[in-house]
Amino acid sequence: MTVSSAAEMEEPRLPRRDWFLMPLISLSTICLLALSADLLARRELGSTGTGLSPCLIASDPATGVRAIPKSVCWEKIGRSERVDYKFNSCGMRADSECGPKARSTFRIVAIGSSFGLGDKVNNQDTFASILPAELSQQTGRQFELYNEGILWGTPHSLSLRFNATLRDDAPDLILWTLTPWDIENATTVLPFRKSNFDAAKIEQMGSLSSPARIHLLIGYLAKNATPAYVSADIDRIRFMLQDVLYQSRSQYVKAYLMNGADEAGFLKAAPNAEWQARLKEFDGYASSMEERASSAGVPLVVVLLPNRAQAAMVSMGEWPVGYDPYKLDDELRDIVTSHGSIYIDILPSLRDIPNAERDYRLVDGHPDARGHAMIAQLIARQMTSGAVPAIAAAVKPQPGAGRQN
Amino acid sequence: MDSASFQFVAFGLAVALISNFSRSRAWRSTVLMVASLVFLALLARQPIVFLPLAGFLLLGYVGLVLLRRGWSRSIVWSILAVLLAYIWLKKYTFLPQDIFIHSPYFTLGLSYILFRVLHLLIETSDNREKHQVGLGSYLLYTLNFTTLVSGPIQRYGEFAGDQFAPEPIALGPRIIGLQFERIVRGFFKVNVLAMLLDIVRTDALAQLSQPLPASLKLYAAFRLCVVYPFFLYANFSGYIDIVIALARLMRLRLPENFDRPFSASSFLDFWNRWHITLSTWLKTYVYNPLLLALMRRISSVAMQPFLGAFCFFVTFFLVGVWHGRTSQFLIFGLLQGGGVSINKLWQVGLARVMGRKGYKALAQNAVYIAFGRGLTFSWFAFSLFWFWTSAKQIHTIFTALRVVDWLGVWLAVWLIATAVLALWEWLRALLLSIRTAEGPVLTSRYARVVYASALGLTAVVMTILLDQPAPDIVYKAF
Repeated sequence: MTVSSAAEMEEPRLPRRDWFLMPLISLSTICLLALSADLLARRELGSTGTGLSPCLIASDPATGVRAIPKSVCWEKIGRSERVDYKFNSCGMRADSECGPKARSTFRIVAIGSSFGLGDKVNNQDTFASILPAELSQQTGRQFELYNEGILWGTPHSLSLRFNATLRDDAPDLILWTLTPWDIENATTVLPFRKSNFDAAKIEQMGSLSSPARIHLLIGYLAKNATPAYVSADIDRIRFMLQDVLYQSRSQYVKAYLMNGADEAGFLKAAPNAEWQARLKEFDGYASSMEERASSAGVPLVVVLLPNRAQAAMVSMGEWPVGYDPYKLDDELRDIVTSHGSIYIDILPSLRDIPNAERDYRLVDGHPDARGHAMIAQLIARQMTSGAVPAIAAAVKPQPGAGRQN
Repeated sequence: MDSASFQFVAFGLAVALISNFSRSRAWRSTVLMVASLVFLALLARQPIVFLPLAGFLLLGYVGLVLLRRGWSRSIVWSILAVLLAYIWLKKYTFLPQDIFIHSPYFTLGLSYILFRVLHLLIETSDNREKHQVGLGSYLLYTLNFTTLVSGPIQRYGEFAGDQFAPEPIALGPRIIGLQFERIVRGFFKVNVLAMLLDIVRTDALAQLSQPLPASLKLYAAFRLCVVYPFFLYANFSGYIDIVIALARLMRLRLPENFDRPFSASSFLDFWNRWHITLSTWLKTYVYNPLLLALMRRISSVAMQPFLGAFCFFVTFFLVGVWHGRTSQFLIFGLLQGGGVSINKLWQVGLARVMGRKGYKALAQNAVYIAFGRGLTFSWFAFSLFWFWTSAKQIHTIFTALRVVDWLGVWLAVWLIATAVLALWEWLRALLLSIRTAEGPVLTSRYARVVYASALGLTAVVMTILLDQPAPDIVYKAF
């Protein structure tokens, strides 16, 4: 006989006080657990400082989001080190000023979104800071990199600023770092407003499975029925628990793919109509930017930086039936090369990196310092392999150019 | 809906609420029938996919009608027809592929329906007067949504006793509270505990095929061995907790399916505590008749224990084979049957060597019990490799380490299981010994409110806030 059935036989009728006492005990237990989790999450993930927002102009539809020149912001998350964001007078994340380039220096201008900017990573640890040194080491030529990556640097907003980039930065090469998120939000110019975002999510519900729909609906109601500070607390607890759970990459991948038609759609072996439409939108921007780069005589090099789930799948070397982590890579290569731009492919190299996804933060899926170092090495290897003629030409022995290191 | 999800629990609670609008048996039976049909409709939208299941149910019912009309000789043919139809519909791999229906059809719960139909046929044949099962009652019994997917296997007498009683069984606030607590516990087991244990299993399995240092591989092998029995217990018993509680809220008592299986001190004892309704069914309809038949033919008293061991082997071999359609489950069956019959022979042998009193004293010795418990767990864990893996995975697992390493791993599993399970038994006894006048503090209603609230909150966080996919109910596949 189990405990319950035994109790069922033996317990007397409930005393009247229990009608108040038992709900009170239940409520107290829940509150105690929730408070403990919140305190722990604040210790681990509590954010202090300003974040990036004060350094950004995020309301100008003519340019998209851009940095305020000569601005400095910082943030510190939990027990991690403080991260500084310093923008120079040209509005680029850099510790040094912008200016005319030296004759012997090959200048790369990197454009992209938060991955490219190095969100929550100190400037010296970003791939943008590491890549020139890597290239110089491998080729003996002096390289410098202007980082035009910015939050919400979607294809549409980059396209709006692309003429200025070509004109003002005098690049020898444009390196466009793309992420799946950029393709998903190709036409976006300014950050989502909450109401639009939620409306879009609710619109997607029709294409989701029944459990996913219920979770989304409950999540939506919870978000909209709770004050912002409570939502922030809930998010913090969620990230803390995910941090523990997703030590298992199989569980992480399983959970990520459960998003179905939403953000995981690009991992499907046969992308749905929505993703195909997004790729078509991206095609338009890729074509326009290549045309302008070509007119300016500047090679445009495109690279897909995998997101965390994609890195995990490639690194594991296995994925569920119906999914293909290389699919987006293949689609982008076709689009980019069809317009005459150069596409470099770092995804297959992740196969040789065990647990590549551990170099990404769980909180927001962005690469951490180790992730940026890994990305810089992979890009450098591809760029110097002959895939980028401009680099190959640039590293031919030149008078006065000595090998560094 | 075919798993221990929020939707399933909400559906069950809604049905229980509607069922209690009236105490009349007609109302409760109508509600149960409509709910079971709606449940089926929610699982598959095309009515045509239910045709084979409907045919199977009809076959069983025709057999019942024939028996009721006095055609007692049709029992063998009825049972045979039902069994063959089952094997055909389940597409057992030893049959030629060409004979199967190749368009998709609904088979969920078919194994459990089979047991209910066979039970009805046999009981009706033995005692026609007792079970006058009409078509409505037959469908209500076989399609009851609380037992359809994964059991428990309820007997018709128990079902009819509650469902068709003029006055339904009591359902007061205390019992309702207990059922809610059980639903929370079951939900937590399936959606949190089983999910976490499955993560350990998946990662350990992946690590076995990676180029890792030997020590890490040995550790991965150890985790792989010990984690699956606990996963399966959490997954299956959690679901059973939910359906038993939902049925009780509908004033229907389902039989218990588990009784702390890892406390079993022998493999025979284990099968008295694990999937109880299945092993009881097979003991009633296979073991007992087989033993009686053999004893009629072989009258030697000295042979009786060996006949018992043989019948145990056959019974639990069938338990194993029932779990799947492939040859792998033959091995699983051999390991179950072998485990139980060797256990029986060991008992017989020791009793002969030590005498009845000596063996009884040994069987009550705490150290002997602890090692027996560890060995029972280890054997079950070992046999489960032929339960959850594919042939390819079995090859990967057993070639990942040398034979001597595997022997070391299993020895470690036995010794550590012995120590940990003994510690658990001691701790449990200690905690239950803290008592008030009303009973152990740990099982008081206040303590239950505390842990049900904690488990409920954790389950909600895991399933809604973290949106973590839990593995499906393993036993629904059978």
